[in-house]
Amino acid sequence: MSSPLLALRQLVKNYGGVRALRGVDFDLRAGEVHALLGENGAGKSTLIKIVTGAHAPDGGTITLAGQPVANLTPATARALGIACIYQQPALFPDLTVAENLAFRLDASAAHARVDWTARRARATSLLARIGAAISPETEVRALSMPEQQLVEIACALGSGARIVIMDEPTASLTQMEQHLLYAVVHDLRKNGVGVIYISHRLEEIFALADRVTVLRDGQSVGTHAVGDIDEAALIRLMVGREVAQIYPPAESIPGAPVLSLCGVGCTASGVHDVSFNVRAGEIFGLGGLVGAGRTELARILFGLTPADSGQITLKGETLHLRSPQEAVAHGIAYVPEDRRRHGVVLELPIAQNITMAVHQRLFPTTWLRFGAERALALDYIRDLAVKCAGPDAPGGSLSGGNQQKVALARWLATSPKLLILDEPTQGVDIGAKSEIHKIIRRLAQEGLAVIFISSDLPEVIGMSDRIGVMAHGTLSTILPGGSDPHTVMAAALGTAA
Amino acid sequence: MSPAAQAPAISNKARRDWRALLTRHEMLLLYVLIAEWLFFYFAGTSTNRRGVIVGFGTWDRQFDILRHSCEIGLLALALTPVIITAGIDLSVGSLLGLCAILFGKLWHDGGLPIPVAMGLTLGIGALAGALNAILITALRLPPLIVTLGTYSLFRGLAEAITRGSITYTDFPENFLFIGQERWLGLPTQAWIFISVALAVGLLLHRTTFGRAFRTIGLAPEGARYAGLPVERRLALVYVLAGLIAAIAAIIYTARLGQAKADAGTGYELFAITAVVLGGTSIFGGTGTIPGTLLGVAAIAVLKNGLACLPVVMRLNAAEEMSGLLTGALLLVALTASVLPKILSNLRPRRHTTTQSTPPLSP
Repeated sequence: MSSPLLALRQLVKNYGGVRALRGVDFDLRAGEVHALLGENGAGKSTLIKIVTGAHAPDGGTITLAGQPVANLTPATARALGIACIYQQPALFPDLTVAENLAFRLDASAAHARVDWTARRARATSLLARIGAAISPETEVRALSMPEQQLVEIACALGSGARIVIMDEPTASLTQMEQHLLYAVVHDLRKNGVGVIYISHRLEEIFALADRVTVLRDGQSVGTHAVGDIDEAALIRLMVGREVAQIYPPAESIPGAPVLSLCGVGCTASGVHDVSFNVRAGEIFGLGGLVGAGRTELARILFGLTPADSGQITLKGETLHLRSPQEAVAHGIAYVPEDRRRHGVVLELPIAQNITMAVHQRLFPTTWLRFGAERALALDYIRDLAVKCAGPDAPGGSLSGGNQQKVALARWLATSPKLLILDEPTQGVDIGAKSEIHKIIRRLAQEGLAVIFISSDLPEVIGMSDRIGVMAHGTLSTILPGGSDPHTVMAAALGTAA
Repeated sequence: MSPAAQAPAISNKARRDWRALLTRHEMLLLYVLIAEWLFFYFAGTSTNRRGVIVGFGTWDRQFDILRHSCEIGLLALALTPVIITAGIDLSVGSLLGLCAILFGKLWHDGGLPIPVAMGLTLGIGALAGALNAILITALRLPPLIVTLGTYSLFRGLAEAITRGSITYTDFPENFLFIGQERWLGLPTQAWIFISVALAVGLLLHRTTFGRAFRTIGLAPEGARYAGLPVERRLALVYVLAGLIAAIAAIIYTARLGQAKADAGTGYELFAITAVVLGGTSIFGGTGTIPGTLLGVAAIAVLKNGLACLPVVMRLNAAEEMSGLLTGALLLVALTASVLPKILSNLRPRRHTTTQSTPPLSP
């Protein structure tokens, strides 16, 4: 048997204390579609980043057509025929399709005269090959997201790629465009190209792929020919780990409802018909896949993208939230997903980060009281065990877990009625993670209503009293805490379980 | 000592760590200012035939420097909060001109008493600032473009009102006192300048407003996610800038005894230079009022000192030399402030490249 197009052996990658990949083996043969499947955070993106040269592995070997490759960079990866089509196309919006294609494909000929006729001809032929009805003269700005994706694919074809990686290519496509894409994938396969296909849509994997590899916790848990496996078995592979971590148990019974949503939606962010309530002392988990609308829902509740339908009631009062200030004034707190951009101002001292949302209460005359600020900051540093050089140390000097505690402290200082946590343990090492879990449970125990968003399936199951599973912009089901992971995953994938 | 270096107290944190204080940008700038001053004191002072000391080393000259730096100084004070929020206001110089002639018109043509005309002028300044504020916060247009527009608009209005030819003069003596006389030993307008510096300094360093400005400059999205009233705070800095520009307009009119449409032409650029020289980052987030005051002083001393140097007087090149050296001073100061960062970045980077070579196991 000839050597595979791409062979990864014992690939290891660590980000700080987080082990993203721990010894992954992966093969891609010429002329096959190899699907890569796994939960959020299982290591798919890391694997892709290594294959495209964006990140260097910490261990393991990469072999391309029998040749070991060291020091893979994005440029060498491209030169070796590896192309990647991301969910969010990275094209220049103000240039035409032909110009974008030329920019990618003629990178070496920077000083040559521009041959417009040849550019246009090549663009036309590439677009025709994938059956896309796009004029090469169109500015990319005017194209829809799927059309831009098709341009990316044309680009991969034009560069003569031998390995094409598609990262959830159909996430934003309509039915018809999906079929167009399937045809392109079949065409690529016929031409001996190897395709790594990442998707959450199981039916798509069964329709397109030859083999499927499931990643879980940075390890490969099995490669199977698609004909030898069924949906249930795939879900089992994706989820099937023992819950290794001990989650702090609930000790009290939740009280009266604090927050009630009735048919809440927002056209702009694609959320629709969300109804549930959260009770005092309850941790309400929001599970689902990336893009299911969980963060979008949190943004609605925090007034960042106001709802345009339905009703939000907090402690009996109907709210029309138009801005974060209003949400804060009503006692809603939101610890955002993007900690470094939204959660903590990295340049400012920890103390200022902690007091940022309580200016009005702590400094009623608007006059700063440095002593009071310091005292409040020290209280929370002690209470949440933030490891830092002191309240004057900049937020950026802290580790991810401690930054998260500072972000949490800022909102606890507001004494909220409702606390929304968006991926609070993402990128946090294992020790800090369990500390954060204990803090959250303690807060609920003290009577706070908590919405806990997490993409980590065992975490959301272990932490929550009830789990709302979101899929395609709406709440698909509400399951009890400690539910069977397979049921939750099936609900998140939108397949009937 | 240049009186402009009388700065309000430096921030709390810095006071705790004197070593950090000595190497702060403000301190470096203070050393430059002292060196500059000593140089001109020795090179620009002489004795004339009758044995009288003339040139840089006289009290008259020192007061003159102070008197002449008040208007640009005020504009620099107005711009410091704006730049700290990562914004910019190019219209303050033009607004100075517009306010000056509106003040003249209200008094001369409108027959209003001077205090009433002053009050109305301040209101007009704040309103003009509010126009910038609305365009920037409600319509979310970039401050650079908005104030580039009002920069032309305000100056154009000033010229249209005077039809390019009217100059308001013959202001009463008690008004000219503000711009041409001394009160309690200092030029009268210096007291106004010091008051505004104190007020803006306290606002910036001692209140939640200053906190919000800084946070918005560092992380506009982060400020929104923290529930800070981002739009209202941004609006405030532009309204404040308009108000201070109007104060500068009144002082300018009182100093020259006339209000013309070209008043304050190009002042915005001197003011921005002073602010940036004073250590305020043009990207927002950092900057202090003491720094701005030192920046204003460094430019004012340079400009006036040069005019006292015999060689410059012989060549009649004070304007050219001061422009050239102000530019050089700014570029050197900016380079000096980023150099430590660049140098410290160089080493770790070399370190990580050796690390990131993937250790491929056999």
